[in-house]
Parts: sequence; C-alpha cells; structure tokens
Amino acid sequence: MPYNIAMVSDFFFPQSGGIESHIYQLSSKLIDRGHKVIVITHAYKGRTGVRYLTNGLKIYHVPFFVIYRETTFPTVFSFFPIFRNIVIREDIDIVHGHASLSSFCGEAILHARTMGLRTVFTDHSLFGFADAASILTNKLLKFTLSDVDHAICVSHTCKENTVLRASLDPLMVSVIPNAVVAENFCPLSHTTRTPDQGQSSPADAPMSPRPIGPDDPITIVVISRLFYNKGTDLLIASIPRILASNPNTRFIIAGSGPKAIDLEQMLERNVLQDKVELLGSVRHEEVRDVMVRGDIYLHPSLTEAFGTVIVEAASCGLYVVCTRVGGIPEVLPQHMTTFAKPEEDDIVLATSKAIAALRSNKVRTDRFHDQVKMMYSWRDVAARTERVYEGIIGDISPEEFYGYYPGQGWEASGDRVRSFALIDRLKRYYGCGVWAGKLFCLCVVIDFLIYVFLEMWFPRANIDIARSWPKKPPASKTQTTRSVR
Amino acid sequence: MTSPPSLDPFPPPIPVDTHPNRAPGSKSPELERSLPDPNRLAPEDAYFAPSLSRAQSAPRNYEENLRSMNGESSAHIGSAAALRKKLGSAGRRRKRKSAWKKLLWVKQSYPDNYTDTETFLDHLQRNPRVRPYDFWPLVADSTVIVQHVCSVVIFVCCFVSIVQDRVSPVSIVCWGSVGTAVGWILWDNWIWKEHEESVPSADGITGGDDGSSSISFASAVDTPADDTQSDDTKTNAIHGLGLSMAGNDSKEQFARRSADFSERIDTVTHLTGQSGVPSAPGSSIIGTTDPFISQDTHRVSTLSPRNRQRLTTVKSAFLIYFALLGLSPILKSLTKSTASDSIWAMSCWLLIMNIFSFDYGSGEGAGATTKFPASLSTNAAVMASTVLASRLPSTTHVFSLMLFSMEVFGLFPIFRRQLRQKSWTGHVLLTLTLVIVAGGAVGVTLSGGWAAAIIGSVLGGILTAFVMGGCSWWLISLQKYKNVVIGPWDPARPIIRRHWN
Repeated sequence: MPYNIAMVSDFFFPQSGGIESHIYQLSSKLIDRGHKVIVITHAYKGRTGVRYLTNGLKIYHVPFFVIYRETTFPTVFSFFPIFRNIVIREDIDIVHGHASLSSFCGEAILHARTMGLRTVFTDHSLFGFADAASILTNKLLKFTLSDVDHAICVSHTCKENTVLRASLDPLMVSVIPNAVVAENFCPLSHTTRTPDQGQSSPADAPMSPRPIGPDDPITIVVISRLFYNKGTDLLIASIPRILASNPNTRFIIAGSGPKAIDLEQMLERNVLQDKVELLGSVRHEEVRDVMVRGDIYLHPSLTEAFGTVIVEAASCGLYVVCTRVGGIPEVLPQHMTTFAKPEEDDIVLATSKAIAALRSNKVRTDRFHDQVKMMYSWRDVAARTERVYEGIIGDISPEEFYGYYPGQGWEASGDRVRSFALIDRLKRYYGCGVWAGKLFCLCVVIDFLIYVFLEMWFPRANIDIARSWPKKPPASKTQTTRSVR
Repeated sequence: MTSPPSLDPFPPPIPVDTHPNRAPGSKSPELERSLPDPNRLAPEDAYFAPSLSRAQSAPRNYEENLRSMNGESSAHIGSAAALRKKLGSAGRRRKRKSAWKKLLWVKQSYPDNYTDTETFLDHLQRNPRVRPYDFWPLVADSTVIVQHVCSVVIFVCCFVSIVQDRVSPVSIVCWGSVGTAVGWILWDNWIWKEHEESVPSADGITGGDDGSSSISFASAVDTPADDTQSDDTKTNAIHGLGLSMAGNDSKEQFARRSADFSERIDTVTHLTGQSGVPSAPGSSIIGTTDPFISQDTHRVSTLSPRNRQRLTTVKSAFLIYFALLGLSPILKSLTKSTASDSIWAMSCWLLIMNIFSFDYGSGEGAGATTKFPASLSTNAAVMASTVLASRLPSTTHVFSLMLFSMEVFGLFPIFRRQLRQKSWTGHVLLTLTLVIVAGGAVGVTLSGGWAAAIIGSVLGGILTAFVMGGCSWWLISLQKYKNVVIGPWDPARPIIRRHWN
C-alpha cells in the first residue's frame, strides 16, 4: 500500500553532496513505486517556499536560521507549528529524517512521534567517542533516536557505530547502502550504448578498450575534498614515491580544500607539475568525465561511512586503491580493489601493485561497470526502504520484520513496536542518562503540551489538505516491476 | 513485496572470483574465517539432519539457535514448515547456504536488519591504551603543581603585605633577586657542565639559523641517548609518570634549555616593550646574540662562548631592569580610573588562568606540544601583577612588585623544571620549602605574628599532603569509569614518513 512519506533534512538541493543526492534519488524511486514523497528542508539562499522537482517531488523550504555549514539552529520546539501544518496538509504517515548533524531531522522526529507518526532515521556518517564535540553529538543523537521506530545505516560499520552511539536495539537498525546511478558513470567504451536497464549481460560486452601494455602510461585519478580526514596528507606523502617507483605514471587530482596548498608545495618541491594535474573542484556531473581519463582511482580517506565515490569510480571502469577504513571494505568486491593500511608505505605498495596488475592485464576493468550496475541501484534501495516502512507501519508483522526467535534474549527488549503513549515515550527518554534523561523528558512533555495547544488553537479542520501530484497510471508501473523480477 | 530475499528485481550477482570475507586487517587474523566452515551449521541441517551435534556452547546466530530449538524437538514436519514460514516465503526462497557476510555488494538472503551475533561489533576495542596509575608516582608528579600553586600564593601574600605596609617592597625584591641570582648561577653551572660533556654531539647541529628552528630540528633528529643522560632518564623513569618525558639526548636538552631561557627573556622583554617603552633594539639584541648560536658561530670572538652567553643574560637582565624602572610611573597610574574591586576580581581570574594554563610538563618530547601555549600562562601572570601593581602607592613599590613578578612567573619555572631533571632530592626539598613558606605567608597575612606563621606552615603542609594524596587517590578511583571505545569507525591515524621535508 502506498504511503505518504516526508523526508526531513537540513541538507538538500541546491547544496550538492552525498546526503542530498541520496534523499533525492530515494524519493524519486519511492515515487516510482507509487508512494507520495515530500521533502522538508530549510530555505536556502534564493530557494524559498514550495518547489516541485522532477516526478512531482514536492520540496518545502522552511525559513529557518542557519548557523554553521547549512545546519539550522537547534531550537527544539520552534519548528513544531509549521511542521505540524505541513504534515497535516500533506497527510503524512511516515517521517524519514536524514543525517545526524541535521537539527531539522532531530526535531522533526520528536514532533512526529508526538503527533503519532512513525519515524525512520537514516545515518550517513561515522562518529568517534573520544572528543567533546562527538560526546555532545552522540547525546543529541540519543535524544533523537530514543523514540525512533527504525534506523537505517549505509554500511555495517555505520550500523555498529549508530547502535553504540544511540544505544539502540540492533534489530531496529537496517543496513541499506547508498547506490549510484550507473548510467551516469559509464566508462568511455560504453558511451555509444543505449543506457537502458540492466538487460545487458557482461557476455555481450565484447568491445573492451585497448589492453594496457607493460609500458603504457597509467593515469591515477584522485577526486576528493582536500581535507585532513580525506587522507590528503597520505596522498601528498605518497605521490612522489609512487611516481618515482613507477615510470610512465601520472596523476589527476580534482577537488579543493585547506590541504591544497600543501599539495601544491609538494609538487613544486619535487618538480612534478608535468606529472600531476590539479583540476581544482569539479562539479558532481563532471566527475565521470574526470574519472574516465584514468585507469586507477586512489582513495586515501581516513574515515568513510560508505564511500560512494569508489563505487562511482568502479562503475567508470577504474581499478580502485583505497584505505581499509570505516565501511569501505564492505563496499566493493576484492577483484575491483586493492586495500591499503592508512600508512604511506602501504599506500605506495598497494598502488604499485595495482599498476603492475593493470599492466599485466590481470584485471578486467571493462566488466566493472556491468557488475557495479548489478550491485547497487536506487530502485533496490527504494525497495528495501519500503520494507522498513511496511515493518514500522505494521503491514509486515513484527515477527516477520524483526524476526521471531524465541528464547534468544533479544526478545527481552520487546519495545520494538513503539507505542505512542506518552508514558511509554517518557520511559524511553528517561533511560538516556542521569541528567540528560530528565532533561529529555522535560522536552518531550513540553512538546506534548505544545501539541495540545496547537490542536486547540489551530484545529486540524482548518488546515487544507494539499492535492497530491497526479500519478502516472500505476498499473503499468507495477507490471514492469513484476516482469523485471 | 512480501519478504526481502525475493524483493530485488535484479538477477543474482554474477559469480566473480573474489574473497567475499572481510579481511579483518592485521590486528586480528584469528578472526578470519573461511566461507564454507565445516564446523558451522548450514540452515539445511535443520531439515535434513535433526540429530546433529550441538557442540557450540554459545549460539552463533539466530538461524542456528532456531535450528537448535527445532532440532531438539526432533524436527518433525510441522516445525520445519513453521521454520520455513518464518524464514521467508517458502516457495521462492533462494538458497540459504551462504553464511551472512559483512558485505554490502552481495545480495544476501537475510533481512536488512539482520544482526550477525558473531561479527557484530567484533572489531570493538575497549580501553586499548589505558595505563593504570600508581599512587606514589602520581603523588610525586603532583609536586609540580604544588610548586606552582605555592609560588602564586607566595606572590599574592607578598603583594598583600606590601599593600598593608607590613613589609618593605625593596626587601622583598632584594630577597627575590638574591634567590634569582643563586638560581641562575646553579642553572648556568648545570647547563655548561652538561654542555661540556656533550660538545661533540652539539657540534652536529650548528645548522640551526635561529633558536626556534634549532628546537624543531633537534626534536626531529632522533639519535640514541648519551650516557650522560642515563641518570637523568633513570630519575625520570622512577619518579615521573605522565608529566615527564624520558629519553631525550642531552644536546637536544641543551638546545631546548638555552633557547628556552633566551625565549623567556625575549618574551619578558617583549612584554615590557608592549607597554609603551620602545624596546625594539633591545629585543633585537637578544634575538641576534642568541646564546646557542653565539657559542658556535662566533668562536673567533675574544670571549669564550660561556662568557658571551653570560654577558647576554646579564645584558637582558639589565634591559628588563631599566625597562621596568622606566615603566613604573606609567604602570602606577594605569588603572586609576578603575575601582579596586574590579582589580581584585580581574587579578584573581588572571592568576587562576595562569595556574590552569601553566605548562606543567617537563617541556620535552610529546609533552612540549601542549594545547595552551606557555606564553598564555606567563602573559596572564604578568598582566595580573601589572594590574595589582597599579594599586600601589609609589613608583618604588610598583617597580619592586613588577620585578618580583618577573622573577616568580618568568624565571622561577625554568629553574624548577631544570632542578626537577637534575636532582630529585632538590626538587622535593624545594617543594617542601615552598609549601612551608606559602603556608607561613598565608598565616602571617591572615593574622600576623610568628605563631601564626608556624601554625600556617604546619596546617598548610598537612593540608597540601592531604590534597595531594586525596586527589591522586580520587584520580585512581575514577579510573574504573574510563571507557574508551575504539572501532573501525574512528578516523584512522595516518602514518607518514616525511622524508622529503
């Protein structure tokens, strides 16, 4: 049955990034599956009010005070009136928040629970436990997730992290990876082909590019923001050694950031300007054009929840060299990647190995695109997300959704189907900590009182119901889905 | 739309020759398990072999436990059917042979919220690098803090007695100067004795072009420690715990110390210069005739390097002296328009800031890179004494107090640090003296008279001992709450050899 879903996050277009495109792709694929999806985000500069994107995806840009890096000021309650209005107007069943640093998302989940809606939260990032900033963030996440119905993480490492940070029941956390639009990341030899869906098997792809000989030039591509946590220091240290030990190799580096100066200094010091090409920052739609110029993609990141970019690189037919950090080892099969420890020596070694493997034609990079296309697709992500929705709404029985395993001990925490009774919600929040628990309970009670007040002051009857976007005939859609299956 | 395994509209993943198991890195090779593990049960066992050995003590995952439940009830058809229904739509179920893998790119026949009890959080480490504290080393290390707090207390008491006209400021500054001179002579002796023992190694680092770069150079070069250092190292290893960094070679210490001293004097000169007197030429003199450089580059000079350095020190001492003398009338009227209450509050906060941001480390090794610059602490103290001095009635008073504060906050910490590295007994004796003097000073300030001083010393000593012991014990007892969680989600620490730098 179709649901009305509200995606809530601080991060959405016109800003571009991983979370933004995740929300957009997931929403449009959910619309394709017959659901109604709206996105609630804050007003961006020059982007206010209500907008429609392709496929009838409706965007509410709520005016809000932005403090830092497009994150709104956390005010806990001030978002409630307009949120309630939107939710009633659009007849929302499920509120789906994204990104743990987004205060919009946290507030929306709190208010949605107060209003008696089911909530889902998607976590896109990893956090440590050591420094003061992450302690605060983790406490806020705990507040957000104490009462959430289900959480989604983009990798298993991310799931472990979220379960620890928010003390969740692991069965209430699903792992649904990101995906790529494989058609947008074709290798050069694929451009002539029609980008229709995965009917083509790898067998009928005979037009492999010219094989790389033992002395042919190899181009290594790096596309990342040049920040510390993206491993730019490792990159800077290893580039001269890679170039010295592997003749006929060159680098293309795209991206900008605070470490760009170090990179340029290294190039000047080692006089490598003719072997390393710096492109500066590139737009996301140009990434493919940069990637297809290379043979190897080097990803020296120090932390990564999923690492969409390495999937994109593999989809472009590049052999991937990456550090074994975060969720990266889960993302790609072994034959597409060479893993390295986050050490300079190991990265040099792994890259040299990758170059040798390519030169001796041990790696069939021409098949990567079709393989990646089969591994990751947004339709699959939407289908799996839909199952989460069914589970929390109750269309799948809890036994089937969470698994029915008698005598497991997991059963003891039988609080998975979260009731909306205020006293149950308070119980969940009270367990958050000695002081934090009481504070959170206070917030929840105030939120409930505001809700009661709003119901009296602005009764539901006075709020218009928005007409939904006219849907395509659903029959053909389901037909095709069935037939593909 | 019924169950996750049958949901994906895509063909099953093509068989690629991969290693689907997550290789768990170098740290835990024993966790590596091969895919077709004969010891582990496959789900089919539940249907076909009900009487399998139940060797596993702990249930590995849900399926297995379910199987064991069903197996023990002799797996009749009804339970098998129930099992099948639970596991998914019976008819279109794909082969469930494969164990769950911690991979994202494989389409697995497990639900998305499946939690594998075997691999879930298996890379979690708790408290991996925790060093348990011992009581006595902790107490020994806390002496550094006690020393500094005591010197601050003594300074404040001196100020109070000056304000209350109990003690003449000149006598205080005279005693302070005598102490400083004695300390300097001792310091000078240590430094040069040490230097003479390690002249050959010190010649190796003449490349430094100024004090700061020679510090960084010396700390970057990692040569084995000299023999002369071994007793030092031993002392540190015995008595030091967190605050002392053992194992630096002596030339580095020498470079650091001499540079440190000149830097301090430089800082002090700058501080006085900032307040209005044009002391730029003075600071440039100190900058160019850096003692460490002069002894190497000006060997042709008539004076021996040792005497050159002494001359430089004396020169800067006189510079500070005259700068303060010139500044005193200005400082006297600096805060005339401010109420005394604000001054007391402000100097309180500044002194607290000084105590909290003071660099209690030994100033070497990793301890040298503290979060707060040492200058913050010194600046706070100098500002506190400046505003306090502005409450005093005459220029002599102001000058004396300022000079005394320079000695207490600028030079005394260097001496203390050096003494701690040189002689542990001296360090302990100095601590005792400071505690007794501070206690006595507090006693005199509060009620006056020798009896009060003695009572104050005794009480102060007892109190300090209790606080040192109590705080150490408290810190040790708090250790059980330590819970450092480390896992694959933490940002990796890159290991880089900066060979091209």
